[in-house]
Amino acid sequence: MLRRIFVVAATVALLLAPEVVAQDRTGLTDDTIKIGVPGPFTGDNASFSKAQIGIIAYYNWVNDNGGINGRKIEAIRGDYACNEARGVAVAKRFIHQDKVFLMHGNSCSGVALAMKPTVVEAGIPWVIGHAVNQKLATPPEKNIFQVVVSSHAAGVAMAKFAMSRPDTKNIVIVEHTNEWARGYRDPAVETLKERYKVEPSKMLVMERGANDATAQVLQIKAAKPDLVMAILYEPEMAIFLRDAQKYGVNVPVLTGYGADIENTAKRVGEPAAVKNFYALHMFKGTIDGDALKPWADMIKKSFPEEQLTQFSFASIGSAVVVVEALKRAGRDLSREKFLAEMEKFRDFDTGVLAGKITLTPESHASPDDSAAAGFVDNKVVIFEAWNKPF
Amino acid sequence: MLEQLIVSGLGQGAIYALVALSMTVVYRATTIVNFGHGDFVMAGAFTVYVFVVYVGLPYAAAAVLAVPILFAFGAGAERGLIRPMLGGPHLAMAMMAIAIGYGLRGAARVLWGREIFPFPRVFPSTPLLLGDLVVTGDALVTGGVVLALLAAFFAVFHLTALGKRLQAVYQSPRGASLIGLNVGAFHQGMWGVGAALGAVAGMLVAPVTLLYPDMAVGALIRGFAAMTLGGFGSLHGAVVGGLALGVMELVIGGFLSTALIDITPYLVIIVVLLVRPTGLFGRPALVRV
Repeated sequence: MLRRIFVVAATVALLLAPEVVAQDRTGLTDDTIKIGVPGPFTGDNASFSKAQIGIIAYYNWVNDNGGINGRKIEAIRGDYACNEARGVAVAKRFIHQDKVFLMHGNSCSGVALAMKPTVVEAGIPWVIGHAVNQKLATPPEKNIFQVVVSSHAAGVAMAKFAMSRPDTKNIVIVEHTNEWARGYRDPAVETLKERYKVEPSKMLVMERGANDATAQVLQIKAAKPDLVMAILYEPEMAIFLRDAQKYGVNVPVLTGYGADIENTAKRVGEPAAVKNFYALHMFKGTIDGDALKPWADMIKKSFPEEQLTQFSFASIGSAVVVVEALKRAGRDLSREKFLAEMEKFRDFDTGVLAGKITLTPESHASPDDSAAAGFVDNKVVIFEAWNKPF
Repeated sequence: MLEQLIVSGLGQGAIYALVALSMTVVYRATTIVNFGHGDFVMAGAFTVYVFVVYVGLPYAAAAVLAVPILFAFGAGAERGLIRPMLGGPHLAMAMMAIAIGYGLRGAARVLWGREIFPFPRVFPSTPLLLGDLVVTGDALVTGGVVLALLAAFFAVFHLTALGKRLQAVYQSPRGASLIGLNVGAFHQGMWGVGAALGAVAGMLVAPVTLLYPDMAVGALIRGFAAMTLGGFGSLHGAVVGGLALGVMELVIGGFLSTALIDITPYLVIIVVLLVRPTGLFGRPALVRV
């Protein structure tokens, strides 16, 4: 009996000992770490893939500066054109065909949500650098991290910024009918109701691919709101703003992270149409400011022709976190060690994101902080609250 | 609000009408519904864009050049890709049309894939105010172009010998061939005309939709819905169908729900095919035996 207990105890101890737990080294060679970078590199939301270009540029920079513990990063692009079915196919290709060590990238929350079951089942580390839907990493899965402001945090930030405008009582929401938009809308509405006792007077829809916003704008005009929350992607955001100006709707319009403020203004092409336009902002500075200049130079070094927008910088913070975790995991790298290191970040400054990164076993999504960017005299200014620049 | 929705709907519908008219012209001569036409619209817009932005030509010159370039492309596509399949099933030719469209879209994605460009504005962005009604220059010009094209094609198809020959080629390619008509040349010409009309549509649509490779995907299904509503093969039906669809979308969006705007063209297709398959102005095909 005693002998049997000893054998069982020894087996359990052996299984639990860190050094003998199976270590998964898929995607590693002595010289390389293979990383799959999924993103919408083509299609009408391809402008989001600037975020993945930023990731690849950072990896190139890391490689140029000696790599990570003797290994260089081999980044492989996977294009899903913001399409759910293609996203799942890209995930399967990375897992079974390319056999990457980890996946890092992803814009388009709907696609990322479609990919999630495949990634969870495979257990491959997945760091989401741009897709914001909170369901991606909350509640936490052991192999999924979201190093970007989540839609929940962004929705709350939208509500807080909207209500920091004095006498705001009447809010209209116009949104896409997809999971991405719901990810913003639900926490925003919840915050408006619970914290400020304000209920949106109208909820309007503008579908992806729409090239006209007349019906929405005329309904908004009739509702006479104090502020419009427009949870739209960039092409539709530009069309909405242009139509709002066309029909004389001059109320402030606040959007989330789906539309880059400067890029949208360029597309609208009329400064007057973006005079009252605000977008959530996650960085330490503006694109043409000093804070982002080193990162801009880094991107330009790898991709000299790249037109920079805020999306270009959106995922670099997550790339800094990935590289730091890979470094901390050491030369004897494995997926298990990488995932363990990812959970040890506390108040980590990426140098590009305004918010600091804290990842724990209980929380796989960070950061939480958002500011808002708007135009003052045709220049982008970052606000911490209505009319309160940083 | 209703008046504004109708006026704006007519402006929006003019775009659909232009797409439907282009598709109808090709259909009238070849019996093929060009499901790749949306990408001809995109190609036309990008052609103008290249001439304006990269070459530095004035807009008018770029527009004048884009039309024959797209005509040549359409005629070339017919000669190289469609004609070898003549005599085969219609479905195969429709699939080839889709493939040509995707080919164009793919090429545009390779060249400009990750950007969405503001298209140079031709008409003043300041709208015209008629009392409380807002009318944009874009809508007026698009509507004017549609009506001018409708008149021109109506005249060609109904008042000229060329139109009679096109009608003969449409009704019986073999019979037309037996009386000495060069059916291939007619088909080639009409594919060229269809593509050239795509260029016209592209340069009028792009200032409204912005310019990117997938810009005309929505316009294609709406053009098809307009054709269905107006009646396949009917020139004025295509225009009326496009205008009606534009108005329906906005009125439904304004008074029922904005969530219904996107499904309106599909509802139109379903209802028309169930209730009146020939559309508003189409005629049932009669075969004399």
